[in-house]
Amino acid sequence: MFPQFKPAGDSALVIIFGDRIDEKINKKVHAVANAIEKAAPDWLIEVVPTYTSIYVYYDSLKLSYREALNAIKPLLSAEPKEEKPRIVEIPTVYGGEFGPDIEFVAKHNGLSVDDVIEIHSKPLYRVYMLGFLPGFAYLGGMDERIATPRLEKPRLKVPAGSVGIAGKQTGWYAIESPGGWRLIGRTPLKTFDPSKSPPSIVKAGDYVKFVPISEEEFRELYRQEWGEGQ
Amino acid sequence: MIELVNVPSLLTIQDLGRYGHQKFGVPVSGAMDEISARLANYLVGNKDNFPLLEFALRGPTIRFHSSAVFAVAGDVEIKLNGIPISPWGSYWAKRGDILEVGTLKSGMYGYIAFAGGIKCEPILGSCSTYLRANFGRALKTGDILKLDYAILTGKEGKKLPEEFIPKYSNESEIRVVLGPQEDHFTEEGIKTFLGSTYEVTAESDRMGYQLEGPRIEHSEKGADIITDAIPLGAIQVPKSGKPIIMLADRQTSGGYAKIGVVAKVDIPKVAQTRPGGKLRFKAVSVEEAQEALRRRERTMEALRLFLLGELRAYKLKALGEEIIALIKVEKKG
Repeated sequence: MFPQFKPAGDSALVIIFGDRIDEKINKKVHAVANAIEKAAPDWLIEVVPTYTSIYVYYDSLKLSYREALNAIKPLLSAEPKEEKPRIVEIPTVYGGEFGPDIEFVAKHNGLSVDDVIEIHSKPLYRVYMLGFLPGFAYLGGMDERIATPRLEKPRLKVPAGSVGIAGKQTGWYAIESPGGWRLIGRTPLKTFDPSKSPPSIVKAGDYVKFVPISEEEFRELYRQEWGEGQ
Repeated sequence: MIELVNVPSLLTIQDLGRYGHQKFGVPVSGAMDEISARLANYLVGNKDNFPLLEFALRGPTIRFHSSAVFAVAGDVEIKLNGIPISPWGSYWAKRGDILEVGTLKSGMYGYIAFAGGIKCEPILGSCSTYLRANFGRALKTGDILKLDYAILTGKEGKKLPEEFIPKYSNESEIRVVLGPQEDHFTEEGIKTFLGSTYEVTAESDRMGYQLEGPRIEHSEKGADIITDAIPLGAIQVPKSGKPIIMLADRQTSGGYAKIGVVAKVDIPKVAQTRPGGKLRFKAVSVEEAQEALRRRERTMEALRLFLLGELRAYKLKALGEEIIALIKVEKKG
């Protein structure tokens, strides 16, 4: 039944590898997405891997939907490489002014603030995909003991680097934006920088570990990353 | 150099978008109406993708600090030094000249192109403004913009034939390729979507247009999907049952079921529909949508060559209808 193919309008097609969030399915998604990117046919505009599917954006003036499908099909056999995954450490100061909702998260789950920090910083989170806003990583693997519903009224401005929880998901805001996640901490890293290539310090398929740091360490790292006077 | 003497509404620099970084969550952005933007560029001898100004509804007033050739695309009154001139044509401005662009009489977005294009520092390969990530910014009164060098001689005095000037109405039929999540809707829901008229609401911007109209029924699979990508023109239907058409500044991914995707050829029609304007949707096959796009691009290429002086326009009567033919100029010698 999988993979399935569908047009997504006249200039994109989608290849669907499964119908649930699953590490194995996602690994296959990235293996095939990499194979398509590597083949780099002249009609390819870009490839966007997601949890369970790949969107292939193509130049429909150069070839039809059918032709694009036929060109892609031989690449579907690509399998994930057995290699050590890349682990990206995200130093994070928890609580205080940096994580104003951490007490709410603790209380909501009948835990102490220290429990929340321990539970949140323990796992290796898989980056299933990036999307939504520049540099935003969809992570998998959060412990449901710290799951907390979103804010009823989103904040108008959440600083870049803010680490939060929304339902059973965790992640961080790579750029300043409005947002409804419960904020538990903040990383001093500039995780998205459009002047760099690639612009994001994480890519899909990486693993992320939140490493608790002190406020002093935060300020020092922040200066290094963002410069003085910020 | 040009100076913005008055900026009455959202004014941004755009090109045809930022590609290749959606997998890092970077939206494509770019001109809302690709066709008007490209025609404006063709009129001043530019390539399709040259950075130009996009204004929403009300145009700016510009003072030229050096000679330039410009063209305005849009259904709008414009004046050069107080004297009315026409959009869809290219003009020479000299140092000190003032260009006043009025309010669009129809459509939502207008464009001002300059020979050579606006000089800008590309971000991730594009000059398109994307406000949410501070890629560029909304331009304001007093800003001074540099233009890239171009030979101006021979660039002015071009005119788009009347027959090819885009017409934007406030009631359009929009072609749609159904899917990729049509299985998240009941048969009745798809019937409602294709059989009803939807109105563009005020909750609409460069990111997307929210529509008001009959509620579209989801199947037992519901309104939410496992987050996947959002192509240009994707029509998301959240739990409310009211569709949202995702446009230039759309986020790269989202979790609402997509009932269909607008045919690329009809994106300008959608983008140019104002709040209060009405849309009806018609399902077409992916092949039909691609054929329509190819046909449009043949016309665009002919217009580009016409404006470069390589084709000539002739009015003909064929089968009782007046048509315009663009025919190659034979070079002598």
